[in-house]
Amino acid sequence: MSGSLDAYLILAGLLFAIGSFGFLARRNAISMLMSIELMLNAVNLSIVAFGAFGTDAAMAAQGSVVALMVIAVAAAEATVGLAIVIAIYRNKRTPLVDEYDAMSQ
Amino acid sequence: MSWQDIVTASPFVVGVLTAAAILIVDLIRPGKTPVAVLTALVGLAITGLLTVVVGASVAAGDTPSTAFGGSYQVDALTTFLDLLFVAVIAMTILFGPDYFLPRGLPIAEFAAILVFAMTGAMLISAAADLLVLFIGLELMVLPGYLLAGFHKSDSYSTEGAIKYFLLGSFSSAIFLFGLAYVWGLTGSLRFNVIAEHLTTMATGAVALSPGLAIGLAFLTTGVAFKIAAVPFHYWTPDAYQGSPTPVTGYLSVLPKIGAFALILRLFVEALGPLADWWLPVVIVLATITMTLGNLVALTQDNVKRMLAYSSIAHTGYMLVGLAAWAQDPGVDGIGALLFYGVAYAFMNLGAFAVIAALQKRTGVTSSLGTFAGLGRREPIMAILMTLFLLSLIGIPPTAGFLAKAGIILAAVEAGGPLTILAVIMVVNAAVAAFYYLRVVVYMFMRDAPSEMPALRHGGLLWGGLAAAAALTILLGLFPTGLLEAASEAAQSIVGQPPT
Repeated sequence: MSGSLDAYLILAGLLFAIGSFGFLARRNAISMLMSIELMLNAVNLSIVAFGAFGTDAAMAAQGSVVALMVIAVAAAEATVGLAIVIAIYRNKRTPLVDEYDAMSQ
Repeated sequence: MSWQDIVTASPFVVGVLTAAAILIVDLIRPGKTPVAVLTALVGLAITGLLTVVVGASVAAGDTPSTAFGGSYQVDALTTFLDLLFVAVIAMTILFGPDYFLPRGLPIAEFAAILVFAMTGAMLISAAADLLVLFIGLELMVLPGYLLAGFHKSDSYSTEGAIKYFLLGSFSSAIFLFGLAYVWGLTGSLRFNVIAEHLTTMATGAVALSPGLAIGLAFLTTGVAFKIAAVPFHYWTPDAYQGSPTPVTGYLSVLPKIGAFALILRLFVEALGPLADWWLPVVIVLATITMTLGNLVALTQDNVKRMLAYSSIAHTGYMLVGLAAWAQDPGVDGIGALLFYGVAYAFMNLGAFAVIAALQKRTGVTSSLGTFAGLGRREPIMAILMTLFLLSLIGIPPTAGFLAKAGIILAAVEAGGPLTILAVIMVVNAAVAAFYYLRVVVYMFMRDAPSEMPALRHGGLLWGGLAAAAALTILLGLFPTGLLEAASEAAQSIVGQPPT
């Protein structure tokens, strides 16, 4: 099954699942951020695979463009996320999201 | 890219330039609030004007309706939503200074980030392409994370921001996964091509392919997070309660209506042929969203948190409009949804603006006790709050009444399971009256524990409140123009209803 679209999609799906698991299981804000990056890159892999195995040349070009855009968006998201993590670390002195519970009490 | 493209997209371009102008003005005259606010309002006025001009010109056929190779489109829906977005952002900027200046927070950055978020929403409403849609979505939500954490030395604000950010990015990744599958399996980014492809598939009576089913499921989940539908709503109460109050008002309105714009573009325009597949999900989501939102709101003592749950309930009501269209395309459920969006925007912004006004004195919380004796202390403020709350309940002659009536009528007309949904919605609206009226009771029938002097509020705030109140009443008394505009906007994506 190597060299087929399915192999890449399964790999991308597994990476996405690992990312989701990391997001749900980890309690460190930075680890959660990394998990989200993993999920976005898994999507990128499937986009590039769809493009490469696509029926026409237009799809291959579209795949590359979409993947580049997603990389840019992921970078912007990481910037905003790290800024927020730094801001809350200054207030709370911990990166653990379990401790961010002032409002639910 | 040609000059024609720029002309068609000029409202969006001017929106981006406005945000840049605010930043440049603040660079030249740092900390000058009036200058920054004036720049923002002038820029927004030009954006609004251009939206109307371009919309009319496109309708008359003088300007091409698509730009950038067909990935950007201007139709009646774009014009309708863009005008709403401009109005919402302008009002939010008016409500800002009274809250932020006593806390030493900068207004120029606030205004610039808001206008950037508006351009994201405008990009969604004008998208004709999955990629443009995704970039618009991110451009709308990323500034929202920053705004939620705008009071960066306040631990509630940053806590709300990180919860909003983590779940928001998580849902963006899920949404993108679905997008990739829909694109990969239909072979096109363009909405109209996807719709054509799916139509041939749907009429061929073949079952949904597994890949497309995955894509549809992920897209639905991602969008449900963005509109804060139960059970994907967990970030909402904390993000809304923690954010600075003017930001909460903004978060409860613009990203929500922007996400509904995304639903209209994606689920109705591109995935409309699959409506039979997503309709049951929407019905279930609408039912549990409005019921749970209202039930939890009953138990809240913090007015901001209560309004957060109430906004979840309103999401459920709006989903009923969408379901009505999906059940029977002859029913103008989308027009009702759009009218509801406009009415909801102004009454909810107004209610949050009153809370923000009371919090001008730093240290005042948004708990129910803050409202005790308000009717005696600041009668005008109390009357305005009562008006917004009555509209949120849906009592005539306010805009909220007609909005709810429109949705319920559309649901009854669509028939089938939607009739039951309409009944559930009526029951919910009655339950909701209890917690809204509780605030009114506190304002007029309880005495404040300790006498606080009345606050002096700025002219900008009064201007914004007057506009929100006037719109809430006028849209209730003279709704014809807006109703026609809403159904025209709806027809531009679903076509003329068969008569």
